[in-house]
Amino acid sequence: MTRDNEQTRQHQTTFTRREFLKGVGVGGGALVLFGQFGIHSAAWALSGEPTLKMVVVDYNKCTGCRTCEAACSSRNRPAAVAGKALPGLGNPYFANIKVHNFNPDVDVPNVCAMCADTPCAKACPVEPDAKTGRRAFYRDDVTHTMHNDANRCIGCGSCAKACAAQRTGVIRPNPETGKPERMCTLCGGDPQCAKRCPFGALSYVEVRRDRKFYGLGPEKIAAELARNWYGTATLGGVK
Amino acid sequence: MSGKPGYHGRILEIDLTSGKSRTVAVPPEDLDKFVGGQGLGMKLLWDRLKKPGVDALSPENPLMFIPGPFSGLPVPSSSRTCVVTKSPITAPLKSDHRHASTVTYSNMGGFFGPEIRFAGYDGLVVTGKARELSYIVIDNDKVTIRDARKFKGMRTDAFDKAFLEELGDRNYKTVYIGPAGENLVPYSSIIHTAGRAAGRGGSGCVMGSKNLKAIAVKGSGQPGVADHERFLAALEKARRALYGTTYAKSWAEQGTARAIVGNSNAGTESVRNYREGTFTEADKIGGDAARRDVWVRDFACYCCPLACKKSGVTKGKYGGVVHDGPEYETGVMLGSNLMISDMPGLLRAIYNIDDLGLDQISTGNVIGFLMEAYEKGMIDRKFLDGIDLTWGSVDATLAMIEKIAAKEGVGALAAQGVANLSRHIGQGSEKFAIHVKGLELAAHNIQGNQPRALSYVTASRGACHMSGDDIAMQNRRAMLDSTGMCFFPTFEPALEEPMLELLSAITGHEYDKAEFEKAGERIFNLEKMFNYREGFRRGDDKLPDRFFEDAFTIGAKKGAVLDRKKFQDMLTTYYQDRGWDPTTTKPGEAKLKELGLEFV
Ligand code: SF4
Ligand code: SF4
Ligand code: SF4
Ligand code: SF4
Repeated sequence: MTRDNEQTRQHQTTFTRREFLKGVGVGGGALVLFGQFGIHSAAWALSGEPTLKMVVVDYNKCTGCRTCEAACSSRNRPAAVAGKALPGLGNPYFANIKVHNFNPDVDVPNVCAMCADTPCAKACPVEPDAKTGRRAFYRDDVTHTMHNDANRCIGCGSCAKACAAQRTGVIRPNPETGKPERMCTLCGGDPQCAKRCPFGALSYVEVRRDRKFYGLGPEKIAAELARNWYGTATLGGVK
Repeated sequence: MSGKPGYHGRILEIDLTSGKSRTVAVPPEDLDKFVGGQGLGMKLLWDRLKKPGVDALSPENPLMFIPGPFSGLPVPSSSRTCVVTKSPITAPLKSDHRHASTVTYSNMGGFFGPEIRFAGYDGLVVTGKARELSYIVIDNDKVTIRDARKFKGMRTDAFDKAFLEELGDRNYKTVYIGPAGENLVPYSSIIHTAGRAAGRGGSGCVMGSKNLKAIAVKGSGQPGVADHERFLAALEKARRALYGTTYAKSWAEQGTARAIVGNSNAGTESVRNYREGTFTEADKIGGDAARRDVWVRDFACYCCPLACKKSGVTKGKYGGVVHDGPEYETGVMLGSNLMISDMPGLLRAIYNIDDLGLDQISTGNVIGFLMEAYEKGMIDRKFLDGIDLTWGSVDATLAMIEKIAAKEGVGALAAQGVANLSRHIGQGSEKFAIHVKGLELAAHNIQGNQPRALSYVTASRGACHMSGDDIAMQNRRAMLDSTGMCFFPTFEPALEEPMLELLSAITGHEYDKAEFEKAGERIFNLEKMFNYREGFRRGDDKLPDRFFEDAFTIGAKKGAVLDRKKFQDMLTTYYQDRGWDPTTTKPGEAKLKELGLEFV
């Protein structure tokens, strides 16, 4: 435990802006790119006063091993064993972080970008609750994590569609109910993905609450990385 | 859930002749005794091929993809799938059975094995033969067989991309063959993620014989474990044994490529068709050079904290491809063994071989043999269709690779492997036709390494450098390749205890070191009985003359050569220690009984 914590802390302090830009592999063109589409990790790179924490990715360090998926699932999909709630066995299908593998070899972990303007929540057709002002898809104002009020949700999939079209596409509607799943919970402030990543590619870092940025889908990030690393942006399985 | 924890208790069997699939329950005692991977594959093969001499390329021969009890759980490096089938390459010196051959297994990393388990199976068994080139799609319980004719002849890198586009879902994990497998080149590979392979032993050829281009799998399930809390605690320990350690970092740093220079210096590398153990230009193609000039990033298989794989891109005449490598085997078989020290040329050869779906090791070995026969004047340029196949020539090597995969001209002969080639060429060339039982040796040379010679001659699939240099190691590895865990992290002593603990927690069967090796011994003996039944005897456990006659002339092991008497004495002791008859190599009744193999 101690070593893991130390590791996480170390990544946080050694993770510089220059490294980050190298990490996303876009160098000088980065800001233009952010301006056009945005990239969720830019939250941190461009941040000033730090008040909010989130999970960001260093693509240069990620090896595509998917341990983060297993770690996330284990925590967020607990198992009931003889009446006791225990961490699950880590079935990656239920993870809130998903590592996208590409050909040529590029791996892009994808997690909710906690977008400041929440296009997902705005797309929800359910009338805001009079007291809380929340639709069926809403943001927790303290942590900025996204949540679904399953009681009021009609399973229309609008939130998922908005996220996929405009941002990361992390939301996966439940195949039976259509209700949104796979939004990062930040594991109650102890992100298991960052803690378990064997390569220090994930960091739980402070970002500005009023940041302006937009999440980018994994295909776009992968194309950018492939161009930077290999001089090609043609990726398999991406139309 | 099945009766046996840690398993689904069923495999998926797909018959390409009828186009039907079904799930088949695996008896809990088979899971207990044969575990998974190589072991369970062997048991299933034994059950399905009731007679010796079944043609490996007949519809009857099952092609099996078997993960292990670790697969699908986040156990470090639990990425492996074992492809098990009857070999289309090996042959005994003599046998009553026309198509006699050994079992073959090839262990592949990546994501395919775990995904089979997510889909709800402990293994996939493909039998029969499709009328037209086809592919299989498995989405949990849903299995479909589709027409693959439009992909005919497609190389693996392009296919990897096109196939996912066709499936429209990047969550599928896929395996496929290239043109070589479609053309039934015996030493064809099965490729995964465009750069990982079940390379050795001809599984790609068997897949081709079934008219099967590819398999795609995805799933959302997971097997349970026997003791949940114990599993979590052991997982924590296993991670701690590897995460952030110097050991893990050294793998991330150079992967297996570190040994390209290391083994050359030690005099144990396959150089110039096994004539030498040292390559004076090894530093030009080694890990340091690759790190400096080629590699862009490290990548890993499922839940692996080692990241031994490296991708990079080169420039110039041979450049322009993004690929994994050089690794030790690929770098030596296409580099040192052919005297090639041009890094971009080497990487192009490696890429093309994967792209065509050939086994890197056999291909490098075959070309090395031809280079030597050409140098010695046993064959001329006309024999080689005009290719000037001299040592170190990248262009000639690339030309030969294409010919082999297409079975065109000299390629049709070369595709049959060095044993058949030397039979055709004659003139004493069998002395340097480097194979055991028909399967070519790998990148570890043995004039100065007798224990590794034992590994090559006694391995169940023909010349195998991974089989193990002594009995304990062989048993251990047979078991390891049955669990789904990769071999590389297990050199870390601190992993041993948590690994056994994990296996016990998952399966509910208590494993200590002895119990682990006992299971491996059982698997190794069943393989032996399979081969024995086919007609393999002591005379087949044989090395070409080179290793006893051509002492190294350079390097740390200069002067080293194997001694025939010492070698035979070692073998006799080995068979005796195994409880096998030293004359015939047949496992004794007592040994079979002790291992619970009475059914053979
Ligand atoms: S655990 Fe780390 S290295 Fe592995 S895929 Fe996730 S982010 Fe990448
Ligand atoms: S990434 Fe998607 S789900 Fe997360 S806040 Fe942005 S739009 Fe919403
Ligand atoms: S699926 Fe539910 S949460 Fe999402 S937009 Fe529709 S009603 Fe709102
Ligand atoms: S912070 Fe927690 S919930 Fe979010 S992706 Fe990481 S492990 Fe999953």
